[in-house]
Amino acid sequence: MSAQPKDAAAPLDVGRVREDFPLLARTVHGKPLIYFDNANTSQKPRQVIEAVDDFYRRHNANVARAVHTLGDEATTAYEGTRDKLARFINANSRDEIVFTSGTTQAINLVAYSYLLPRLEAGDEIVVTTMEHHANIVPWQILAERTGATIRVAPINEKGELIVEKYIELLTPRVKLAGVVHVSNVLGTVNPVAELARAAKKRGIPLLVDGSQALPHFPIDVRALGCDFYAVTGHKMYGPTGTGALWARRELLREMPPFFGGGEMIREVRFDGTTFADPPHRFEAGTPNIAGFVGLGAAIDYVESLGRERIVAWEHELLAYATAKLKAVPGLRIFGEAERKAAVISFLVEGAHAHDLATLLDHEGIAVRSGHHCAHPLMQFYGVPATVRASFAFYNTREEIDRFVEALGRVRTMLG
Amino acid sequence: MTAEALYRDVVLDHYRRPRNRGTLARCTHAADGVNPLCGDSLRIEVDCTDGRIARMGFSGEACAITTATASMLSELAVGRDADEIAALDAPFRRLLAGEIDVADSLGPLNALAELRRHPSRRKCAELPWATLRAALGGEARTTTESP
Repeated sequence: MSAQPKDAAAPLDVGRVREDFPLLARTVHGKPLIYFDNANTSQKPRQVIEAVDDFYRRHNANVARAVHTLGDEATTAYEGTRDKLARFINANSRDEIVFTSGTTQAINLVAYSYLLPRLEAGDEIVVTTMEHHANIVPWQILAERTGATIRVAPINEKGELIVEKYIELLTPRVKLAGVVHVSNVLGTVNPVAELARAAKKRGIPLLVDGSQALPHFPIDVRALGCDFYAVTGHKMYGPTGTGALWARRELLREMPPFFGGGEMIREVRFDGTTFADPPHRFEAGTPNIAGFVGLGAAIDYVESLGRERIVAWEHELLAYATAKLKAVPGLRIFGEAERKAAVISFLVEGAHAHDLATLLDHEGIAVRSGHHCAHPLMQFYGVPATVRASFAFYNTREEIDRFVEALGRVRTMLG
Repeated sequence: MTAEALYRDVVLDHYRRPRNRGTLARCTHAADGVNPLCGDSLRIEVDCTDGRIARMGFSGEACAITTATASMLSELAVGRDADEIAALDAPFRRLLAGEIDVADSLGPLNALAELRRHPSRRKCAELPWATLRAALGGEARTTTESP
């Protein structure tokens, strides 16, 4: 099943792990692909691809409806992923996991089902400068509707949240606080547990956007002490269109449904409908069943490699790439937090992010360029766009060497 | 497809030494354009009396493709009628879409034909056109996402 040796102390065998990812074998513009756009979406191991394929070939049926064999198999596989994800992030129980299409839908579910009924003019919502638009725009829409205000906790030049400023903003007017666990641009790991303690003391629920954290290190929602944790599957080697909202059971119980339809009901009558209990109350309609079966396989895969091994190897890649990039003349790195995930945003003097990304693509290297759905962060640094190289456990030092060499050639061309 | 086919010498030359870069002391029309896909913004100022473009200046921070396009466009526009330039909009779009290989009326802008193989970068070349169109049409702002 896994390419990883049983010896828990052995480091990750990256060469063998790479063989699990069919796409990594392809070429782009005649050159071996170097995939450094993992924060955008990760590649999928054959275990995930085969799980999706096998579902459609052998088990396909709708969930929680049919009494026939296939219906049971589909429901078991789909609900099995809920168990796996609950264990994976250390939820109290499986019914605290609401399946969504991704982080964005998870955050919007909190916005419309939890916050909107509670929000009034004069209330406040706290976020940080380094949020992804997914943790800004839903709150702005609610604020506009209700007359509430968004308050923004600042960061320092290194790209670290100024924690005391965040905590200062947690006044009695605040109805919800949000924070990104790992910045998709800077790689900064925010001190979620500390923020959660401060929020709890003041009776403010804390929502964490865990999109970029889940692929990089173990998540323990109970130890973090937050109230909502939103994740996406496709950045963690699972299929696109999969994600989840974790919330404490008592919060989910208070929340009315967001979408109405099939699967989320107990009884429907024209004089009144009673809704299913969480989490199914929030999962109207036929879900992305095959996708969630694939997500279950992705969780199994990551666990088979060992989360600590992944952390160790990605840390090594980050340190290696940072040192190499710092030696490139005219290169500026955005985000030098003490605690950082394997994401590096940068610019090279005299070269625009898009030109760098296009020219690197011609070298077979996939990086992201642009604003990374984080306009306020770009405004903070006073740049329209950056280039971002983001690593996964299947990346190698040799790839980083080729990337830095290519950057040199590209700079000469644009210079 | 090579990088050199997109970043041709004429494109790189206009990027490194942009013509008509800067603001005008006197202008009759001006607009700010934004490419929301990348955040690039461009300001175009035009001195245009009786329908004739006497001068054009562009400013802002943008990529090589946008900068070179603005530079080449400015050289094409100065001394021509606004209507004439507006009429070039359609062939330029067709060039980017790969519907035609070359349009004599576009002069050095034909060097951007390779963008047909880089759909994600086409908006970069459209930004200067959209901004000039907005300026001449009396709109203060535009984006590459506008119809």
